[in-house]
Amino acid sequence: MDSSNDEALDIIITNVVATFRTRCHLNLRTIALEGINVIYKPDMGKVLMKLRKPKITASIWSSGKIICTGATSEDDAKVGARRLARTLQKLGFKVRFSAFKVVNVLAVCSMPFAIRLIDFTKKNRPIASYEPELHPAATYRIKHIKATIQVFSTGSITVTGPNVQNVASAVEQVYPLLFECQKPRCK
Amino acid sequence: MSSRVCRTCGGADIDVDQARGSAVCTGCGSVLEDNIIVSEVQFVEGSGGVSSAVGQFVSAEGPVKAPLLGSGFHTSVGKESRAQTLQGGKRHIQQLGSQLQLNQHCLDTAFNFFKMVVSKHLTRGRKMEHVIAACLYLVCRTEGTPHMLLDLSDLLQVNIYILGKTFLLLARELCINAPAIDPCLYIPRFAHMLDFGGKTHEVSMTALRLVQRMKRDWMHTGRRPSGLCGAALLVAARMHKFRRTVKDVISVVKVCQTTLRKRLTEFEDTPTSQLTIDEFMRVDLEQECDPPSFTAAQHKVKMQQLEQELVRKLDEVEGEISCYKDEIETELEKSRPKLRGIYAAYSKEIDPEDAEVLSSTSEPEEPEVGDAELQAATQHLTQNFLCQVIQEEEGRDKKTEAGPEKESLGPLRQVAPLDVILGKLTTTTCLDLNKSPDEEQSESGVLELDDIDDQEIEKYILNEQEVQVKTELWMKQNEEYLKEQEEKEERIKKEKEQGTYKEKKKKKKRMTKGEQVEALTAGEAIEKMLEKKKISSKINYDVLRDLNRGGEGGSGPDPPNTLTHKPLTRRRRNKTSEANDLAANASIIGKRFRRLISTTTRKKRKTSSSQVENSVTMTTQTTTTDTTAPPPEPEPISAPTLAPPTVEEEEEEEVEDECVSALQLVGDYGCEAEEEEVF
Repeated sequence: MDSSNDEALDIIITNVVATFRTRCHLNLRTIALEGINVIYKPDMGKVLMKLRKPKITASIWSSGKIICTGATSEDDAKVGARRLARTLQKLGFKVRFSAFKVVNVLAVCSMPFAIRLIDFTKKNRPIASYEPELHPAATYRIKHIKATIQVFSTGSITVTGPNVQNVASAVEQVYPLLFECQKPRCK
Repeated sequence: MSSRVCRTCGGADIDVDQARGSAVCTGCGSVLEDNIIVSEVQFVEGSGGVSSAVGQFVSAEGPVKAPLLGSGFHTSVGKESRAQTLQGGKRHIQQLGSQLQLNQHCLDTAFNFFKMVVSKHLTRGRKMEHVIAACLYLVCRTEGTPHMLLDLSDLLQVNIYILGKTFLLLARELCINAPAIDPCLYIPRFAHMLDFGGKTHEVSMTALRLVQRMKRDWMHTGRRPSGLCGAALLVAARMHKFRRTVKDVISVVKVCQTTLRKRLTEFEDTPTSQLTIDEFMRVDLEQECDPPSFTAAQHKVKMQQLEQELVRKLDEVEGEISCYKDEIETELEKSRPKLRGIYAAYSKEIDPEDAEVLSSTSEPEEPEVGDAELQAATQHLTQNFLCQVIQEEEGRDKKTEAGPEKESLGPLRQVAPLDVILGKLTTTTCLDLNKSPDEEQSESGVLELDDIDDQEIEKYILNEQEVQVKTELWMKQNEEYLKEQEEKEERIKKEKEQGTYKEKKKKKKRMTKGEQVEALTAGEAIEKMLEKKKISSKINYDVLRDLNRGGEGGSGPDPPNTLTHKPLTRRRRNKTSEANDLAANASIIGKRFRRLISTTTRKKRKTSSSQVENSVTMTTQTTTTDTTAPPPEPEPISAPTLAPPTVEEEEEEEVEDECVSALQLVGDYGCEAEEEEVF
């Protein structure tokens, strides 16, 4: 969903984080020894397994909880998670795919104009906060859809939310506010 | 003031005396209020003509200090704790604030913020110093003082981002809108620190103008204000003919050298930098610039265009290079090791593909080799050749940067090899694993979803051979960790057998200074202290302990005669004599202690030859006492002790020193064992 303006804004989803459970105990050592593309982190108590086809990195804990990061869409995340479960099944564990949930979606969007951050922050207090000493972007948090938008002065924004719908609506919400505080390009 | 009704008579006529601060009913004369807080200052003449102001001090904490005990018991307990928190907070704020040189008004405001924070229960789960620092920073921002969060984090030695998190949270919860940081605020402060003498004000003004110009040129959004200030001050100083190096400025401004240089280059790119000093002071250019990141993006686009041009040019040059390529190929054919077995098949397969790839991309391509090492070697060789070519090109095109060219060649060069690798050889990238061609066999199995390719999943799982190899590798890699685990398990087993196994050993023991040493005698106490504290690294504690145990044969009471004679002599002998005296005294205190001293004196005797004769007379008494001590015991001890004689002597001296000091004190105070003073 793009904003209803003359130009369509490209919202590019860069990262989708999802979790699921296998409902069985996993032996991390077995996975580490018999799997390809695995990194065993004994100090953290987890195994990192990287898949190629949906490009995904999964953190696998021995309790059976798995976090998948790196997918580019929600469906991709699900496919990747399923594939991972299948791999674990083939390794000999009695895996059941349960409680799949997309936890976080990160999207990037670029405005065709620059933004005056100080103006933007002044107009949208206290929802927006800008602390140049800490971070170069202004942070705008929309509570009811639980989305956080980081606005950079170049006009690019990053949006994080619990799912893709929220992210899209967040961008729609914030666009008019950004439009007000824009800075036209000189050259 | 208080026009109330009198309690006793009900009359409404109340006389309020401002000067005395009292309210009196005119009807019945009862005093309704006393000590009203007035804003008048009255002076009273005291004895001797000294005039003093009339009034009482009222505590800032108010009535909190006198809670109602008894009737409001529960609430008072809660209030006490809250009062303590507030008191503690106030103290901390005063401390930190004075270090930051904040005035009292700021500190009071900070305390008010703190009270609000406490009432909203935001201190829970947060370190007190973080909360206080955040309150102070909040005040700094609202008042506009030139204090940075960096200063606070410097004082507290806490990560600035942690403080920032707390600060942001508090600002959000208290709904306090802190105004944005203006770099202009920091200029006077930094200028002061940079020591410009009389001209500080002028330099500050120039720097201010520069900063304002930077703002207009969009250099300040998203950047740390201190970095901008640093750059502005550096330029301003140079303009006024002060020599301030980049290092001076960064030590004051607390940014990195790279940052400062970057700001300067960015400023250089703006048209304002082209003005002369006079022009700059007089004229303000109308034109505004784009933010530097914009220009960087444009720069990138330009680079890409140039790269494309370069590719075209390379095509032209390709002919020249292809002959080089042929030569390389022939050379490598000769030097390439013969591949055996399965690899031979692979290498043959690769070559025709190679030819196709080459023709398609028309790229100067190194010949495809099965071995990764040779590949790398050829890549390197061609790289060198290409570098030379590029340099020639540079001369022709007058291109300044060879970087992007190389970059452009880099990815283009790698395209073909990757293709080949991914096409033929399968996904394994491990070095030593056997690439078995059996991976194509797929299990039929139960397919959950149509889109899951079981074949591919099979590739993810290694077969038995591979598992073995990987197990070996993994074991080698993680040897240390595995060893640790084994040791840990053994340790736990042992302790379980011994019955001293403790479940959680993760918490580190804190060396509490206030640990009470329980000992029956002074001697025991000192011994325990020595064991615990390990004061000197040169003392061989094992030997010391053995000595202690060795002297268990019991020694008779030392004659007190030795007391009087010896204190006069000064030298090592003195020590031994003193030791003897003190040893004598020790008999009054405790057996063990004495034994310690006596055995050490004997040790000393053995190691220092010269004193032997001298001390013979003196120590005869001790020897008599020590004859009962088993002679064989010290001999084995002396053997190791003799080995490093000098070190041991020092050790003993040190031990002796302490014992001596203890005993001295003991000697001074008679029978009392002053344990603490030993330490």
